[in-house]
Amino acid sequence: MAMVVDYKHESSFPYWTSVCRRFEPDSPFFSSGNLERELLAKQVALDLTEDERNQLEKMIDNDARSVFCPIVGCGARLTSLEDFEDHYAARHTASCSVCSRVYPTSRLLSIHVSEAHDSFFQAKVARGYAMYECLVEGCGLKFKNYKGRQQHLVDKHKFPTSFDFFNKAHPSKKKRLKNQQKRRMHKKDEETSSKMEVENETIDGLVSAVSKLSTSDSSPSNISFGRRNARGLTFVPRSIQPPREKK
Amino acid sequence: MADDSTASHRRDPIKSSVGNVAAQRRRQNAVTVGKERRESLVRAKRLCRVGATGDGDVPVEENDMMTDEEGFLLDAQTSSAVEELKSAVAYQGKGAMQKRVNALRELRRLLSKSEFPPVEAALKAGAIPLLVQCLSFGSPDEQLLEAAWCLTNIAAGKPEETKALLPALPLLVAHLGEKSSLPVAEQCAWALGNVAGEGEELRNVLLSQGALPPLARMMLPNKGSTVRTAAWALSNLIKGPDPKAATELIKVDGVLDAILRHLRKSDEELATEVAWVVVYLSALSNFATGVLVKSDVLQPLVERLATSNSLQLLIPVLRSLGNLVAGDSHTTSTVLIPGHEITYGVIKVLVKCLKSDHRVLKKEASWVLSNIAAGSIEHKQLIYSSEAVPLLLRLLSTAPFDIRKEVAYVLGNLCVAPTAGEGKPNLINEHLVSLVQRGCLSGFIDLIRSADIEAARLGLQFTELVLRGMPNGDGPKLVEQEDGIDAMERYQFHENEDLRNMANGLVDKYFGEDYGVNE
Repeated sequence: MAMVVDYKHESSFPYWTSVCRRFEPDSPFFSSGNLERELLAKQVALDLTEDERNQLEKMIDNDARSVFCPIVGCGARLTSLEDFEDHYAARHTASCSVCSRVYPTSRLLSIHVSEAHDSFFQAKVARGYAMYECLVEGCGLKFKNYKGRQQHLVDKHKFPTSFDFFNKAHPSKKKRLKNQQKRRMHKKDEETSSKMEVENETIDGLVSAVSKLSTSDSSPSNISFGRRNARGLTFVPRSIQPPREKK
Repeated sequence: MADDSTASHRRDPIKSSVGNVAAQRRRQNAVTVGKERRESLVRAKRLCRVGATGDGDVPVEENDMMTDEEGFLLDAQTSSAVEELKSAVAYQGKGAMQKRVNALRELRRLLSKSEFPPVEAALKAGAIPLLVQCLSFGSPDEQLLEAAWCLTNIAAGKPEETKALLPALPLLVAHLGEKSSLPVAEQCAWALGNVAGEGEELRNVLLSQGALPPLARMMLPNKGSTVRTAAWALSNLIKGPDPKAATELIKVDGVLDAILRHLRKSDEELATEVAWVVVYLSALSNFATGVLVKSDVLQPLVERLATSNSLQLLIPVLRSLGNLVAGDSHTTSTVLIPGHEITYGVIKVLVKCLKSDHRVLKKEASWVLSNIAAGSIEHKQLIYSSEAVPLLLRLLSTAPFDIRKEVAYVLGNLCVAPTAGEGKPNLINEHLVSLVQRGCLSGFIDLIRSADIEAARLGLQFTELVLRGMPNGDGPKLVEQEDGIDAMERYQFHENEDLRNMANGLVDKYFGEDYGVNE
C-alpha cells in the first residue's frame, strides 16, 4: 500500500524499533528502588509509620520529576504527571461563549473571537488590512486573508496541512465521550463504505463549488459539515492543497 | 511529644511567658528535622546505634524532636566528652587504657543516642585526631571498637562531616585485616561503608588506599554479621561511576564463588546485601557481567525470585537479573534460549513480580520483559503466549504512570520484528492485531496525552504501528474511536518540535481531507 503523500514528515518519522535499554546505576529509573532500599533498611530504627513512608516516597518521586506544562507559553509547574490532564482541562480549554469552540490558550480564543464573531474585524479585512495574525506566539506576522495565514502556518511553522483554525474544535471530555458513544452506536450502520463515498462526493462537490467563488478565498467558510467537532470534513480551499491521492 | 509539654511545665515560670516563642522554635525545629530526617533516610549511609554484641546499656531514644535546650545540652556534653578523651589519651600513668576506653565509650554513647548525633560539636572539639590516635596498632580491641564506632556515626551524616574522616581512613583499612578480631573488623567496615556512601571522590580515595581486597575477603566466610556488613560496604565502594572497582572485585580470588554461595544458600538478610553487590557489578562492569552470566548466576537469582517474599531481597535480585539481561546480549541469546528451562523460569518469576503489590517490582519486571522482548522473534512469541500479556494489558490501563511506560515498551516490542538495518522495522501483525483487539490502544493514546516526552513519543510510535499495520485500513478508525486524533491535535501548540512533527505527520498522513467520519 504505497502512500504517496507529500507531507514533509514522512521520511523523518521515528518508527518504533525494538531495542534493549540499559541504565546506569545512578539513573533516575532506579531511584524509587534505591529509595525503597534505604527506607526498608532504616525503617525499624526510624520508626516510620505507613503514612510517613508513603508521603516520603511521593515527595521524593515528585521532586525528582518536576514537570512543566508543555503547551506553548504556559510553563506552569505540575505537581505530578497525573495532574497534567486536570491542568489541561482547566487551563487549555478556553471556550468561545458564542459558538463553544474550544482553544488551548486564551490568546487563540481571542483571535478566534475577532475572526469569527467580530464584524468590525471583517470590515477591516474587506478594506485590505492585514488582520489575520500568525497563531504562533512571538511570530508577529499578519496576513490579509485566512488562506495566506494558513499557508504561512504550514510552511513556516510546520502545521499539518489539514489544520484548520476556524474549524478547530476541541470538544470537552464530556462531549468526547458522548461522541464516542454515538459513534459506537452508529458504527454498525456506517460500515458500508459506499455510503461514506457518497457523502464524501457530495461534500467534495460543495467544496469545489464554494472554492470557485471569488470571495470565498478571504473569508473562512461557514460551512461546517456534520457536527462542529467532526474532524474529518474540514473545509480548506482546494486551491492551496496539492492533489492528494485517495486511500 | 507528651514528654515535651510536661517538661516545659516543669521549667522556670519565665519560660512559660515566652512559651509561644519556644513553641515556635520547636515547630521550626520540627520542619528542619523533617527535612534532615528525609535526607538521612535517603542517604546510602547507616548510623550504628546498637553494637554487634547488643549493647544494652544505652536506651535508644526514639524521640527525634529534641528541643533546642536538649540539643544544646547534648552538644555541651559531647564537647566535654571530647575534652575528657583528650586528657585520657595524654595520660600515661596507671590504668591509662581503662581511662581511654571509658572516655571513648562515653563519647560513643552520646553519638549513638539519637538519630541526629551531635557530630558538629564533636568535630569542633577536635575528636578526629584523638580517635585516630586511638586506632593505633597494638591498641586493645575494646579501644579499637569504640573508636571505630564513634567514627562510624560521625561519618553517617552530612558530606563535610564524612569527609572529616580522611585522616582515619588508612588505619580503618588496616584494621580490616585477617589479624583483627571480627567485631573490630566489622565496625571498621561499617565506618568505611559510610565513607564510601558519601560520593565518588571518597570512593576513589578508599580504592587508592587498598580498601577493596580486605573488604572482599571479609565476604568469603559462610555467615555472620561481619559478612553482611562487608557486603554492604562493598556495594557502596564499587558503585562507581567508574567501573574499575567492580571489575577489580570480581577478579578477587574466591569472590565469585562466595557470591554464588550466598545467593544460593545464605539467609535473606545476607543474600540481600550480596545481591546489591551483584547489582553494581552487573550495572557497571561488562567483564563482571560476562563472568557472572557464564557462571550460571541466573539460576539462584530465579530461585530467590520464585521463593522469597521479602521486598528487601526481591528488589536487588530482580534488578540484577535486569542488568544482566540489559548489559550483555549474550544473556538473551545464549542463556535465555526459548525452550530452555531457565527461560521459562525467568518468565515465570517476572510474571510473579507483575502480580506483586509493589510498585518497584512491577516497574522493573516490565523493564526486564521489554528487554527480552527486544530479542529474537522466538523470544517475542514466547512472551506473547505467556501469562504476562493479560497482566500487562491490565497494567497498561490501571497502573501508575511509571509502570505504564515500561509496559508500553514490552507491548510495543512484541509487535515489531528485530531491527534489521535501515528503514522501517517490520510489523508482527499477528501480535499487533491481537493486542489491539484486546484493547491496548486506549492505553497508548493516554500516553500521547502525557506531559512526559518519552511517554508521548511511545504513544505516537505505537499509534503509527496501528495506523500502518491494522488490516483493512481499520487503523485510522480505531485510533479515532479512542480519541486519538484529539490527542494528537494537542501537539499543534506543544513546545516540543519533534513531537509536534510526529503528531502532525500522522494526522496529515492518515486523517487528511480524505478521511471520512462515521456519523
